[in-house]
Amino acid sequence: MADVKFAQSHEWVRVEGECAVVGITEYAQKQLGDIVFVELPKVGDKLKQSFQFGVVESTKAASELYAPLSGQVNEVNTDLVHNPQWVNEEPFGKGWMIKVKIEDKDELGRLLDEESYKALVQKEGH
Amino acid sequence: MKYTPFYQEYLENQARIVDFAGWALPLEYTSTLSEAKAVRSRCGLFDASHMGQILIRGAGALSLLQKLTPNDICLIQEGQQQYNLFLNSEGGVVDDLMVYRRQNSFLCVVNALNTDKVYRWLRANAEKNVEIIDVSTNTALLCVQGPCAEDVMQAVMGRDLSDLQYMHFIEGDFDGKKTLISRSGYTGEDGFEIYTAWEDGIKWWCGIMEQRAKYGLQLCGLGARDILRIEVGYPLYGHELDEKINPLEASLEWVVKFEKDFIAKQKILDAKREGVKRKRVGFVMQERAVPRRGYSLYSQGNFIGKVSSGTYSPHLDQFIGMAYIDSQYEQEGTLVDIEIREKFCRARLKSYPFVKLGIKHKGT
Repeated sequence: MADVKFAQSHEWVRVEGECAVVGITEYAQKQLGDIVFVELPKVGDKLKQSFQFGVVESTKAASELYAPLSGQVNEVNTDLVHNPQWVNEEPFGKGWMIKVKIEDKDELGRLLDEESYKALVQKEGH
Repeated sequence: MKYTPFYQEYLENQARIVDFAGWALPLEYTSTLSEAKAVRSRCGLFDASHMGQILIRGAGALSLLQKLTPNDICLIQEGQQQYNLFLNSEGGVVDDLMVYRRQNSFLCVVNALNTDKVYRWLRANAEKNVEIIDVSTNTALLCVQGPCAEDVMQAVMGRDLSDLQYMHFIEGDFDGKKTLISRSGYTGEDGFEIYTAWEDGIKWWCGIMEQRAKYGLQLCGLGARDILRIEVGYPLYGHELDEKINPLEASLEWVVKFEKDFIAKQKILDAKREGVKRKRVGFVMQERAVPRRGYSLYSQGNFIGKVSSGTYSPHLDQFIGMAYIDSQYEQEGTLVDIEIREKFCRARLKSYPFVKLGIKHKGT
């Protein structure tokens, strides 16, 4: 997973050419529990790194989603509207959330690599 | 933190544990949604040992209970139970409870959160000829709920239970365990509630778990319990009931028997005559959005009330809830807006239960 980076707020980013695919991590979906609702931005919306871009709600609570990168939303996984459980089932696969056109490659450097993210998750206690 | 006799079982079954009214209880084992679904389709096992049990006996026991509650306990016989409310002098709800009418006593099953408060309330109102004993700390309570519950319990006990009717109970020594078993629950499904001594609880747990594979029984946590009770419109103290809400507002008028005398009867009669200003209603979201407790409801831009409980219903694949609203809007079918993150989301008022009840009424 060389091209995958992680935000401290538990989103992942996979670089695919000019774009970055974004979702939440395995750890995040486990912590949230059964996901019943996902609210995502629209294609064309501008995101700013570290700012909220959506909401994910589980049976327990609503949690904010934070943009791991700045840029325009290119594509949205609208299937999640009716299949929010995909985020639980395959957070890194069919549970992806949005594709963002990368605005500033330097921002990637501010994200965690897999090893650092694993360390963060361990520190959080699980 | 307080622990029920099944805490070790929670751990062994990888439960996610939370603090509920000072008790360490399982929020969920595998998944809240699959647990709730299992109860509607097969069977689930809940630990409700945190709930309070208060025993009332003596010559004045019946009259004490009759005085403090609006339902008429004379309507049930020995071996039957009744849903009831403890009211305060203003007609607000001190707690909701299940009263079991036994040979020489009444067993009141109350909310964990309210056990001490109810105990003190009973004490404060009792004459000398009443004995009030809090037996909570020695009473384990397991609930087997779902369409397969009867099969499971018959297999565990090796006896026929088809004659045990809804809201009735049996008591005795079952295989060396002194136990009270009632046909009741908090899910709207057929089911049993098993009250036994703290130390015997684990024997029942193990016996029931032996049937796990055969009947697809699932261990269930508080998350599933909350979804299931909302799906059938059962109130939860602290959400739909509190000291400032009267039974009419809570849409529990069926519990109030005006033929008998009880505390705050006049206040409730006055409220009935004048009409209550707010009312508990049910609603179904018309779009995919999660209604949560505390969200505001509007009718054509006017604030009309607040959500008391809301959830995703896995059985319906819809978002449902209950709310307290201005009673002039209470009519079924009324369209309202619920404010969710500064957006109005459409909901339609609908009377509960939202799902078909599975309980087996036999004319009671």
